[in-house]
Amino acid sequence: MSTDKTDAGIELKDLYTPDDLKDFDYNQKLGEPGSYPFTRGPYRSMYRGRTWTLRSQIGFGTPQLTNERIQFMTQQGQTGFTMTIDLPTSYGFDSDHPLVRGEVGTTGVPISTLEDMETVFRGVPIGDLRVSLSIRPPVSAVTLGMYVAMAKRQGTDLALLSGTQQDDPLFQMSGGPLQTHVQFFPLDQILRLCVDVAEYCARYLPKLNWMPANGYNIRDTGVSAIHEAAFAMSGALYVSERLKERGLAPDQFLGRLTFFHSAAGDFFEEIAKFRAMRRLWARLCRERLGATDDRSCLFRTSCQTAGSSLTTQQPLVNIVRATVESMAGILGGVQSLQASSYDEGLSLPTEKSATMSLRTQQVLAHESGLNRVIDPLAGSYMVESLTDELESRMEAMIQKIDGMGGIVEAVKAGWVEDEINRSRTERLRKINSGETVLVGVNQYRDESEGDIEIFYPDEEAWEKERCEYLARYREKRDGEAVRRRLDVVKETILTKTNMIPSITEAVEAGATMGEIHDAMREAIGFIIE
Amino acid sequence: MNNERRMRILTAKMGLDCHDNGIVAISTLLKEKGHEVIYLGIHNSAPKILNAARQEDVDLIGLSFLCGTHMPRIRELVRLMDETGDRFPIIVGGVIPSRDAKKLEGMGIKVFLPGTPFEEIETRGVRAEAVLPSGDAE
Repeated sequence: MSTDKTDAGIELKDLYTPDDLKDFDYNQKLGEPGSYPFTRGPYRSMYRGRTWTLRSQIGFGTPQLTNERIQFMTQQGQTGFTMTIDLPTSYGFDSDHPLVRGEVGTTGVPISTLEDMETVFRGVPIGDLRVSLSIRPPVSAVTLGMYVAMAKRQGTDLALLSGTQQDDPLFQMSGGPLQTHVQFFPLDQILRLCVDVAEYCARYLPKLNWMPANGYNIRDTGVSAIHEAAFAMSGALYVSERLKERGLAPDQFLGRLTFFHSAAGDFFEEIAKFRAMRRLWARLCRERLGATDDRSCLFRTSCQTAGSSLTTQQPLVNIVRATVESMAGILGGVQSLQASSYDEGLSLPTEKSATMSLRTQQVLAHESGLNRVIDPLAGSYMVESLTDELESRMEAMIQKIDGMGGIVEAVKAGWVEDEINRSRTERLRKINSGETVLVGVNQYRDESEGDIEIFYPDEEAWEKERCEYLARYREKRDGEAVRRRLDVVKETILTKTNMIPSITEAVEAGATMGEIHDAMREAIGFIIE
Repeated sequence: MNNERRMRILTAKMGLDCHDNGIVAISTLLKEKGHEVIYLGIHNSAPKILNAARQEDVDLIGLSFLCGTHMPRIRELVRLMDETGDRFPIIVGGVIPSRDAKKLEGMGIKVFLPGTPFEEIETRGVRAEAVLPSGDAE
């Protein structure tokens, strides 16, 4: 890390003084936490009122194995989790599709049926535990349908259904590139389903959060904190504008629009980033989107410590990195936190490494005192200067993206991918030259280090189990009812009608994730190459 | 070993894995060093890679994996080459556990983990004498 610039390239003085905050207007720039522009936090009481959610990212193998890990981590003290789906499911394929051999369960849990979702959530107290579904459109349309169907079966009032449905159409699959997002489904329908999910949540699920942009995945490509904020907020603006076009007032939907961001390695820059994003988003909601209720202007975010900052070499050192990054998230005032596991560079988390991630948070929550005072770094000559500078640069980049016609056009034009490629290559160059120090990798190496215990996927066994399950499943359901509901899906996708109701009914009749996607692709004439 | 020769390398990702930081950055640095790099993008099948390797008449193939499916995907490519008689050396990067890295090295496939200096990848991986993969090691 440079001594005179932040990770994003902002020049740093060696010392900041009151001169740096001359004419600083507390009420205009900061105000109270819980009051516009929310720089100091979205809520008046912040962690004094309720600690951030201690989350783990969970999903692998089979729904049953995933459920066991959720139970285990809940016993260890997690207060929320993010369900991560496997790659086949991410692209709308069932576990037995010929294209997905060898990929079942290796990066997340396979979800094909409503039963699968119910298995994941069996015995999970959804009321007490905060649930997030890490899923992109088009798949998020189906998982939302499953989540709703599951709630109905359990007798939950939909008006009280809580949780978060992630819904990023452009960046969910490791932050890009566009090729991966549109390989198996066309962009225009992905965007349509993204807005369908958000609209359905806004109209019928007033307690369910939805997430138009995965800032974490954007950031993990190697771009800067400024890109992370600008791309994510531009994505959120895009979806918001589409919702307004559908007749929703900003105050009807902005209150449940949430974010997901990274906590990366440059400690003070990350803290300032969250503060800057809160202030900037509040202003965008009011000035750009026309929100009249201040509660519509909250930048609420969950956060994960940056996986890309973790090393394959000397993996236990990653515990330190995840701790420093978690501290930045906490001092930055995030609403929920996931600390990446020390074996990130080697495999999926083991029980041991996942527990260590949770213990990291628990020490910070119960022993460090970091959460005793709200926004404790406010007023720091340096942190406020950095917050101002970041806000200014984020806003400038959003305006640049506006100039290209918005984030979707910027992606299509290749500009976003160019920025990503430039950033990631520059990062590797700097690590290679030693300009960026990576402890254990380009300095302080230990050539004698042995292997640590890691998780080995059993993808052959998982795939076999899933294929057998799906065969049995298709046997015992009412195939005719499924076909009728899939026909409705095929008809509806050709109209402008919101797809969630017809997809939910297809799910309830027993249609699988893959079958619903096949039906949609068939209706719109999309052929997978 | 020829330290001056410009090598021709096909880089690609296979299967559903879309994590392309490593493959894109390495491909770019190799180009900057003067090599000819044909980057095939992501979601490639074994036949697609082999056809491209033939058409582009490359010296070797570079692959990258982050999602745990390296063994079946690499085996598919090696098996296909066994069938067709094409012989292209393969080098691999990404998140590869040491147990699997040993198997791959046993098959003649060089593995470069994250954190490997670029010069090593270029010298030991790209410029080195062709090592032809020797089929399945279970």
